[in-house]
Amino acid sequence: MEKRLIKKDALAGIAKKMADKFLVWAPVKKEDNVLFEPLQKNAEPNFAYLNSKNAPKNVFFPHTETMMKYTRTPKGMVFSTEENKAAESVLFGVRPCDAHSFVLLDKLFDQEKYKDGYYITKRQNTTVISLACVKPPYASCFCTSVDGEPVSSDGADILITDIGSDCLVEFITTKGEKLASYFGDAKADAAADAKKNEIAAKAKEAIKSKIPAHEIKPILDKNFDNPFWNTIYGKCLACGTCTYMCPTCHCFDISDEVKGSDGVRLRSWDSCMFPMFTKETSGHNPRTSQKERWRQRAMHKFKYYVDMFNCIACVGCGRCVMSCPVNLDIRKVVEDISKL
Amino acid sequence: MENIDTKLREEAKRLLLEKRVDVIVGYEQGTLPLTATPCFITTPEEADKLVWNNLCTQNLAKYVHDLIIAHKNSQKRVKPEDRKKKVIGVVARGCTTRSLIIHLQERQYDRDSVYIIGVPCDGYIDGKGLKVAVGGADISEGSLDGGQIKMKTSDGDKTVALKDVLADNCKTCRFNNPIISDVMIGQNAPAMNPDAEYNDVKEFEGKSIEERWAYFTKEMEKCIRCYACRQACPSCYCPTCFVEQSQPQWVGIGEDPSDTQVFQLMRLFHMVGRCVDCGSCISVCPMGVDLRKFLKKLDKDCFEFFGNRAGSNMEDMPPLGKYDEHHDKGDFVFNP
Repeated sequence: MEKRLIKKDALAGIAKKMADKFLVWAPVKKEDNVLFEPLQKNAEPNFAYLNSKNAPKNVFFPHTETMMKYTRTPKGMVFSTEENKAAESVLFGVRPCDAHSFVLLDKLFDQEKYKDGYYITKRQNTTVISLACVKPPYASCFCTSVDGEPVSSDGADILITDIGSDCLVEFITTKGEKLASYFGDAKADAAADAKKNEIAAKAKEAIKSKIPAHEIKPILDKNFDNPFWNTIYGKCLACGTCTYMCPTCHCFDISDEVKGSDGVRLRSWDSCMFPMFTKETSGHNPRTSQKERWRQRAMHKFKYYVDMFNCIACVGCGRCVMSCPVNLDIRKVVEDISKL
Repeated sequence: MENIDTKLREEAKRLLLEKRVDVIVGYEQGTLPLTATPCFITTPEEADKLVWNNLCTQNLAKYVHDLIIAHKNSQKRVKPEDRKKKVIGVVARGCTTRSLIIHLQERQYDRDSVYIIGVPCDGYIDGKGLKVAVGGADISEGSLDGGQIKMKTSDGDKTVALKDVLADNCKTCRFNNPIISDVMIGQNAPAMNPDAEYNDVKEFEGKSIEERWAYFTKEMEKCIRCYACRQACPSCYCPTCFVEQSQPQWVGIGEDPSDTQVFQLMRLFHMVGRCVDCGSCISVCPMGVDLRKFLKKLDKDCFEFFGNRAGSNMEDMPPLGKYDEHHDKGDFVFNP
């Protein structure tokens, strides 16, 4: 597909121009964190960022969303499906690892058997623009161990790569091409392409943190009851930081909030790290301690997801590694499993 | 600190060899640069992992409570004569011992269930503050060298003074040395600067109601309800938190600002006379919510009204659990 060159300092202007017409999600500096948020009028997007604190999954799978509303009337219940409409949106400047997470989430929310309308509508109405990592932002990035690359168009409609002099803009899908008019008219030549490939190879090389993510699948298959699981969970606080920061964690809870005769059905994020996650109405909890919960987290990412969709549910962004309050490092857990 | 590490490891080995404790909760080196992480030592060989330095952030009293309660629960179905006692050794600085005192005052376990290995403390590094001090760059390597922190970052080499990046609660800590202990490793550390303890709160108190409410709502907007603050807090040990009760449901699970505010307000008010200013909730918060401002205000009120500093004295009664017939003569007590 088509490729163009733009000036390096043009990105913010393009994002702001798009914001006149679309809902643009972009990295915005808020106090000490960079967060993906809808770009407000007069707000400056920050494209010189390492990666955002929060994963951009909330664009398609928000922390809380209304599924339906209902009212009790003398004639019975009246249901109103919340109008499942998403504004035409652009997700501007996500890192390739996060764009990769959308491909993984699609496999779950948009599969043949089950179709999640809430997710799919937002996903279809959003154009994803990836901003390649020309050098890995963090020492703890490990995307190359989990089928990712720092310069990758996986999950993106448009890929932007800083090639030194300019930025190379590659339109990956027809959805991306529809936004081509925002990116000037300077066609990219073969030299720009070669430069990008060179940068991509270098960036890949620069990822030093590596984990045996693929190797542990057969080990996990056989070691559900291994005493190893007793050794990792002790310091886990059972908070939801890792799962809430994770771009691929997607478990949710559904609850009804009722006021008088009106009710709202909400879906919100949930976390396998919470004891309540598996607690049954009877009071029984099949996952009795943090051991079972941590085993579930490791198994879900590196075994169950592979069983179901033939891919690992981790993109190597390192958010859980950096944000875990007690430094329970999933890289070390995987490393240790590989030695079982 | 090298010397302290050696002494600490020797003491840990002795305690395990003599079977004085079943497990020692301490700190070991973390997997990221400039981090230490909680660890559980059960054999003398593992004791060599133990470290004690300015990177040890978490208040380990939380784990002491968790371990003892889990053990008690596991003994419930055992015949009384066959029940075993479990003793937890814990590496404890000033604020950790304050939390242990609160547990003891609140009758959570007996004094002989815990063996307190006291350590002197001159404050821990505030990880988020350190990140700000290096301009948000990624720290790929780092070392503590006397009063200096030397780092390799994505923006080149950087050096920061330790005293500039200590956590706010450490800078003005009043009790940086253990209040109670069974053994003390090393000499007491010099005092911090407790005179400045309430400077932030006083400034905040000077603002108008509107300004204070605006600050509260702004801070609460950052909260993502991961509950890391509650989970890290040694004083938050309710078996079921009110936010997780469903019959009746007190708080909605969604993102409505009032639900988040209710959760945080309730937690804050449950901390009166129980918050030891260990900073754990602040250090674990992924979104950087300023909880300390509000906790410190409650702490100041508790001291001014009741003369109580949480967990500072074994003999104190918990301020919210105390009734004094000579002083509590306010009308509201007798004619509510």
